[in-house]
Amino acid sequence: MNNLSAKKLNSVYQFILILKKHSGLSIGIFILFAFAFISLSPLFITYIEPNKMDLLARLSPPSNEHILGTDHLGRDVLSRFVAAIPVSLGAALFAMMVILAIALPWGLVAGIIGGRVDAIMMRMADIIMAFPTLIFALAIIGFMGASLEASIIGVAAAWWPSNARMIRALVLAAKEREFVRAARLAGASHLRIIFRHIMPQILPPLTVIISLETASVLLALSSLSFLGIGAQPPTPEWGAMLNEARPFFTQALHMLLVPGLAVTLAVLGLNLVGEGLRHILDQREPYKW
Amino acid sequence: MIKYLLIRMASALPTLLGMTIVAFAIVSLAPGDPIEQELRAMGIVPTVEDLNALRAKYGLDKPFIYRYLDWMSRAVQFDFGTSIATGRTVINEISLHFPATFTLAISALFGTILISLTLGIAAVASNQNTASFLRALTVVLVSIPSFWLALILIYIFVFYFGWARLVGDGSLRDLVLPVITLSLGSGAALGRVVYERIRAEMCEDYVRLAIAKGVSPAKILLRHITPRIIGPLATAWTNALGGLLGGAVIVESIFGWPGLGQLILQAISQRDFPIIQAYLVFMGLGFFITSLIADIIVIITDPQLRRKNSHE
Amino acid sequence: MVNALSVEELSLHANGQTLLDNVSFELAMGERKGLIGASGCGKSLSASAICGLLRPPLFIASGRIILDGRNILDFTQKEWRAVRGRHIFQIFQSPGTALTLAMRIGPQLLEAAEIAGVKNSKRTVLKALHDVELDEAITEFFPYQLSGGMKQRVLIAMALILRPRILIADEPTTGLDVLTEFEILSSLNTMIEETGASLLFISHDLRVVRNVAQRTLVMHEGRIVEETQTDMLMQSSHQHSKSLAKAAASLVRSC
Repeated sequence: MNNLSAKKLNSVYQFILILKKHSGLSIGIFILFAFAFISLSPLFITYIEPNKMDLLARLSPPSNEHILGTDHLGRDVLSRFVAAIPVSLGAALFAMMVILAIALPWGLVAGIIGGRVDAIMMRMADIIMAFPTLIFALAIIGFMGASLEASIIGVAAAWWPSNARMIRALVLAAKEREFVRAARLAGASHLRIIFRHIMPQILPPLTVIISLETASVLLALSSLSFLGIGAQPPTPEWGAMLNEARPFFTQALHMLLVPGLAVTLAVLGLNLVGEGLRHILDQREPYKW
Repeated sequence: MIKYLLIRMASALPTLLGMTIVAFAIVSLAPGDPIEQELRAMGIVPTVEDLNALRAKYGLDKPFIYRYLDWMSRAVQFDFGTSIATGRTVINEISLHFPATFTLAISALFGTILISLTLGIAAVASNQNTASFLRALTVVLVSIPSFWLALILIYIFVFYFGWARLVGDGSLRDLVLPVITLSLGSGAALGRVVYERIRAEMCEDYVRLAIAKGVSPAKILLRHITPRIIGPLATAWTNALGGLLGGAVIVESIFGWPGLGQLILQAISQRDFPIIQAYLVFMGLGFFITSLIADIIVIITDPQLRRKNSHE
Repeated sequence: MVNALSVEELSLHANGQTLLDNVSFELAMGERKGLIGASGCGKSLSASAICGLLRPPLFIASGRIILDGRNILDFTQKEWRAVRGRHIFQIFQSPGTALTLAMRIGPQLLEAAEIAGVKNSKRTVLKALHDVELDEAITEFFPYQLSGGMKQRVLIAMALILRPRILIADEPTTGLDVLTEFEILSSLNTMIEETGASLLFISHDLRVVRNVAQRTLVMHEGRIVEETQTDMLMQSSHQHSKSLAKAAASLVRSC
């Protein structure tokens, strides 16, 4: 028992060492935790109702009453920013889950079975990848009608093929490792090979992919909301908030800064985590000249 | 070489065909009847007979395959029908908006290449502190959403300094801010690719030999590393064009640039399906052509592949 | 005798491990010396250290490497570039990947001529190729079109063009068949005779070293354990030397 807790302590200590060495990664983790914390804060602090309009206090700059000011309808920017966290980040995470739900089995099956199955599956992915991603998402939204749900589906439909390709590449690399080949020769089943041998190997690089791809999905979703074809008003969503701020941003700079910084920081957090993990995984050093 | 090109294009045929099917399917399987919606939008409540008659007129009562083949046979003659919203032919609308988007995307591509090379090579050449600063800068630039960057640039350069104008006439001067907006993010992202490519090559044995020979860094980069990475980089750059075409929609909307992006946004809100279809096909085609160009560059710069293809 | 190179109490660390421990040896002008030891004992590391080609996490903890009276460990990258190629040159273990894949052989050799500052670079290149018994036509070839032995001879031709005062050959014949090995070694001997360079010949194979070097250093787990006449190695009382000698002898018998 004592031994076990000492071991745990040791791994915590090592984790802290890693964070100390990789400042980008720790900043990224900090940002993501901060967002999670703030999104939970309405449980402890009462904010002004995010959709409550106060037409007398339109476009007012930050004050004691409205710490981050109000928007063109007199709504509190701070509470809208907080209420938008679960919408914006939640939509991105959900879209990423949908993407993985398609891409992971797709890449695994194509990579492990190989041959004609692989060729056909990759050809299907290529067909969708032949369209620029955001444009494909636009078309899907065009076909479904503008809404947050449509933009999630559109982004997922446009983003899964590249993820499937990346996962397939990881699987192919993992498959060629000696012990996996040995397991295959020894007659282990596909499922066993996937879960015992392939998954543990591709998991670390997959974490990098998930983190970086969630960042790009978040950017895409907020772009679509900004264009007015994603989340619809009055839903608090960062992209939609910026869209609403467009006619007024010369008069009320805070309306431009708050949601913009929110998207940037969230994307930055995800990118920093992805980059940091990638850096830990790849330690080759170049020759000095 | 020509033979290779033909083979490459033939192997892409199924993809192209699949693309058209996807483009057609997305729109023609859309829920809601475009004709009914259109009529309702005009304030007409159609009878069932009217609807059926109109459907028959537009061929919407036929099965999917038939409609696809019909659409394809006209599409190869650049006949994509007429816009439901404006009544003009689709190809007319597209060709009206295409030049603006083409100019924007190509300028942004050059901007991207320039920025990525500058950032990537600077990161390779600089010492540890500068390199980590550049890395941080890259991550930040990649993370800034283009729509926000555009608004900030407008705030600074249009409203604060008054150096640029918002509603332009499509002259070269009006292109500067949109191009910067589009190319900063992708340039930074690709700058990292450039940096990592070079760094990966710097770990290779042949670089060690070049160093042992006493070759200077600039010459190692230019003579030894460049031929190895130019193909992959060309692929990365042309792939970035896809992102730029998508980003163009956002930037055009903000800067009022009269390109295809404006057209598609309008088409989406008006559910103008023929326009959406044609837009998807053209964008896919443009993207396809650029990846073909990238493939040719890969072949030209890889001696092993080049030799193999010329012998076959 | 004047030393071309002397390594003094060189220690090399990585990740808290000591990989080279107080290594000292000398290489006289025109001397050919073998460096022999089992795989992973630190031979290649020593070579990389002498050429300034260590990369993190490897670092030199202490010691000096004296070339022309100067400690090269204090060199800036610029000073290094002035020394590399013309003063010290190394032929690496893996000829397969050592040459730049995307460059024809000709330009790669011409580049060496440019660094060596020779006047008629084209003629120098052709002469060097002739000396290592390679056809002129290969200047038009890319590395992937050559066999392993040919690539290794291209590297020796490069050394001939550069005329370094010290040449380090790190397992130049490993992975090649016996006939090719013989050709490589004779090319190497030609090169050394022609340029009067000092040679540090690294190998795990005593048989090969005997063909090239009169004296040999024996390395074991990061330390030089013995320096002796190559021919005397068989009679060495030293345990590690003996086992290396035995391995070589049994190979010769089995051939």
